[in-house]
Amino acid sequence: MTNDVKINDSAVAAPKRKRKKIVSLDRRKARAGWIFVLPFVIGFVVVYLPLIYQSIQISFSEIWMGNDTYGMNFVGFQNYYDALFTDPDFVQTLLSGLASLAFDIPAILIFSLFMAIMLNQNMAGRAVFRSIFFIPVVLSTGIMESVAAMDNLNSYMDSAEGIDDGSGGSTSDQLVSSMDLQMLFANMKVGTELVTYITSIINNIYGIVNRSGVQMLIFLAGLQSISPAIYESCKIDGATAWETFWKITFPMISPMILVNGVYTVIDSFTTESNSVMVYVQEVYNAGDDEISTAMSWIYFIIVMLLVALIAAIFSAFVFYQRKND
Amino acid sequence: MNAQNTEKIVALNQKPKKEKKSKKDNRPLHEQYDQLPLKERLKAKFLSFYFLQKVVLWIFRMVLMIGISYIVIYPFITKIAGSIMAPEDFLDITVRLIPKHFSLDIYRAVLTEMNFFSALGNTFMLSFSTAILQTLTCCLIGYGFAKFKFRGRNILFLLVMLTMIIPHQTLQHAMYLQFRNFDILGIVKFLNGGGIEFFGWNVKELGEGVKTFFEGIDILPDEIPLWYEIEEEQVALQIKQTGINIANTYAPLIILSITGLAFKNGLYVFLLRQFFRGIPDELEESAYMDGCGTFRTFVQIILPLSIPMMVTVFLFAFCWQWTDDFYITLINTGSAKSSDLLVKLVGKIPESLQITVSSDPSGLYSTSIRNTIALLIIAPLVVLYAFCQNFLVQGIEHSGIAN
Repeated sequence: MTNDVKINDSAVAAPKRKRKKIVSLDRRKARAGWIFVLPFVIGFVVVYLPLIYQSIQISFSEIWMGNDTYGMNFVGFQNYYDALFTDPDFVQTLLSGLASLAFDIPAILIFSLFMAIMLNQNMAGRAVFRSIFFIPVVLSTGIMESVAAMDNLNSYMDSAEGIDDGSGGSTSDQLVSSMDLQMLFANMKVGTELVTYITSIINNIYGIVNRSGVQMLIFLAGLQSISPAIYESCKIDGATAWETFWKITFPMISPMILVNGVYTVIDSFTTESNSVMVYVQEVYNAGDDEISTAMSWIYFIIVMLLVALIAAIFSAFVFYQRKND
Repeated sequence: MNAQNTEKIVALNQKPKKEKKSKKDNRPLHEQYDQLPLKERLKAKFLSFYFLQKVVLWIFRMVLMIGISYIVIYPFITKIAGSIMAPEDFLDITVRLIPKHFSLDIYRAVLTEMNFFSALGNTFMLSFSTAILQTLTCCLIGYGFAKFKFRGRNILFLLVMLTMIIPHQTLQHAMYLQFRNFDILGIVKFLNGGGIEFFGWNVKELGEGVKTFFEGIDILPDEIPLWYEIEEEQVALQIKQTGINIANTYAPLIILSITGLAFKNGLYVFLLRQFFRGIPDELEESAYMDGCGTFRTFVQIILPLSIPMMVTVFLFAFCWQWTDDFYITLINTGSAKSSDLLVKLVGKIPESLQITVSSDPSGLYSTSIRNTIALLIIAPLVVLYAFCQNFLVQGIEHSGIAN
């Protein structure tokens, strides 16, 4: 005890002279770090936390709006109850949305990894293909998404016959449908689930290409950062490209798979064209703000759980080349 | 896949050559090859399994790449084709992608009748300012997370990710209320006589005296005049007891941008953090040795190095703000001149085309008008992308994300 007191005494006494002189580098850097992230901290406390608080508050209450002011009456879990049990379509939309995402997410991950590997190879016109593949990232967002959703011109131009032709298909159409991918796969006897999965991916290829731009960028960056020396030594040791992919590329890129998995989940859950989001927006526009807020909180909790689950599963397989912190 | 096959074939090709070598002479292989007759050499080169495989792979890859490029570009092609068609082309079932009656009526109508250019100017102002602010803020935040160790760093970074995970639709009603009654930690409310409130409990409830005291504080004006006028009338921000009404200005988006809370800013912070991590610490250490402070090091050493990544983030922020309709419809609903934005034009029909649209049974012509407006909206982005796409790839390539 006495020792403690002494130390404290000296600690109190010492700074009077030393305070200006020495602040350890670590502490100075820590302080600088806080200053750098300060905009976010301020924003989070001043803007974001009130938003979250208010949003949760809304989901538990009924809003009344006056001319100059507004207020809320606490109603407990009523809005959540309404969203889950009274609303006729919400649960169904939620379940079907989750099911379709369970299909889409692996497809997007595999596709973007595949395309990133393709784009990483030396070939003619690589720069052109790269810039084409990244077009959807910058152009097919926001308003363009809703324009594309309402674009009946696209399918009209696609169709082989006129729009008001009720006869049921021309010869070219029949030819195409007889060579249909579904038929091809069905004849291969590989099980209907796989067939429907693959055909749904092929049918949905536009959506998948559109949504895998950022993931492709991240994978490409991961691939670029693998040292060529590793590949070279692999080649010298006589590994085939297949082995090289699974023993080198895949482990080295696994942190990116984690990042992309999480990002894809977040991105596809929160995009405006997501069916659940569309439904929530419809409810919001219909005037049931409180219920729509409750719905999106339910949705958010599910997303959180999924993200946590995926992060936990993936991070078990992630390989880090070196850990610096 | 390609490399795998080539290696197999190299292995295959080497076997017979080795046998030859042992039978005939000990000269190096390429010398032997050089002395073969031309016919034999061509045969060896083009009739080999190796060459065939290479060609097949090349064709396969090209077909795949061109096919996917086609999928990406096709919607734009149909939009362009539709936008230059005359109305009668939509009734003619033989017309598909190539118009019979070429016409620029839609473009003319949209550009002259819809105050397109003032909307373009406003959208540019908004997108440019928010994108610049977002880039700078995310650089600061990303650098803070990348290079400094401080207590609570990981939790803070999780919070950054959280702002990205919570869909902004969840917060849309809260945002609607918040930006119509904007208040920083209750300061406006306090200064306007609203008292101090914690989680629904107000200080005023303590007693009459306290209530009259707090209501006596009323030092804010009812309105703050702004610098522009609409139809001869001064525009002003209203100050209510619940806060300032900043909807219908750019302020909400600017506030979100400055604090790194705008659309997908979590992603930018993540990308920039990874980029800064890839920059060796020695650079900064030598700058510190030379007497630079942390901030000066950041501005003079780090930022010039990270221009490709900053351009990438700027491009994303700019384009995503340019085409954003969620925030615009949520916040900028008013008729003020400044809320005349490009995305609001979508779905409107120019007056001179109204008759044609109403006489079109299939609805294709109105779709075509909407598509044309969309094309005009993204035209500046295409130009920007053409200039920046090199940076985009560069920035990503040098980011060393896997570390």
